[in-house]
Amino acid sequence: MRIRTVIAGAAAAILATVAMTASALAQEYEKVDNAVREQLPAPQFVGAAYAFIWLAVLGYVAFVARNLAKTRTEIEELKRRIERAGGGAGGGGAGGRAGGAG
Amino acid sequence: MSALGRGFSAALIVAAAGFLIVPFKILAAPIEPVMGLIQKIFYFHVPFAITMFVTTFTAAGGSLAYLFKGSEAGDRLAQAASELGVVFGACVLVSGPLWGRKAWGVWWQWDARLTSSLLLFLILNGYLLARRYGGPGGKKLAAALSLFAAVDVPLVYKSVDIWRTVHPQTTVVPSLDPRMRPAFWMAFALVLLVWGVLLTLRMRLLHARASLADLELAIEDLEEVRS
Repeated sequence: MRIRTVIAGAAAAILATVAMTASALAQEYEKVDNAVREQLPAPQFVGAAYAFIWLAVLGYVAFVARNLAKTRTEIEELKRRIERAGGGAGGGGAGGRAGGAG
Repeated sequence: MSALGRGFSAALIVAAAGFLIVPFKILAAPIEPVMGLIQKIFYFHVPFAITMFVTTFTAAGGSLAYLFKGSEAGDRLAQAASELGVVFGACVLVSGPLWGRKAWGVWWQWDARLTSSLLLFLILNGYLLARRYGGPGGKKLAAALSLFAAVDVPLVYKSVDIWRTVHPQTTVVPSLDPRMRPAFWMAFALVLLVWGVLLTLRMRLLHARASLADLELAIEDLEEVRS
């Protein structure tokens, strides 16, 4: 009984989708003569698009730069900890690995 | 400075010079007779859209390497590429409606190209959210999402040819006025270069963060042994 209800529901949904698609495809574009066109200033739109693009790129650069500064601070802190722990061999390894990666 | 470092610095200088030169090339290109000045958005809208596809495929490649080979470098590549996908996607989804408002009279249409592009942007955002808040399995879940994003790319590209949409078809770039081509290809090269520079920078940073985390654990062990 439950399976029948599900199948009937699915079939109804498929039929409705097909009917909607068919009616959408049956529509055709109509040419409208002498339509009133809104006059919008193009330079402002172009300027806004370019401004957003450069701000987004610069924002990402700032995000990476901030993380880079934070990483450098942490590397310095690690170096101090290594010196405190008295690990001479470890000090060379930390500087080499972190410096090479950053 | 290493060869890689020199190459990276050169790319950075070229990208900075491109920011100064390319806008003048775009201004010098002829104005499109039907749309007028608003068509100038095309010179960055299309390159950012194509680079969004490139970065999505790059992220999927990294995710595949992570999922099937456990490659941490692949995971870092996927993360960096997905972040850039979000940034570049935002540029596409903002510059497009600004162009559409002037050219079509509306900000947005729920047609196949615009909707599938928005979906791609949301999947890339989903990748970052899954990584950040997905818990222990978040990275694998995110990698799987990255593959779905790559599947969406061909759909976005071909949508304008398959379905009836208000968006121009894929024939626009091949049939571009020859006088507009230098500005377009220069802008495209610049956007691709900026993407490459940012991807390299972000990957190096992620690698440094991973190395730091390993080192901190090693130092904690060392300090425990000493005490």
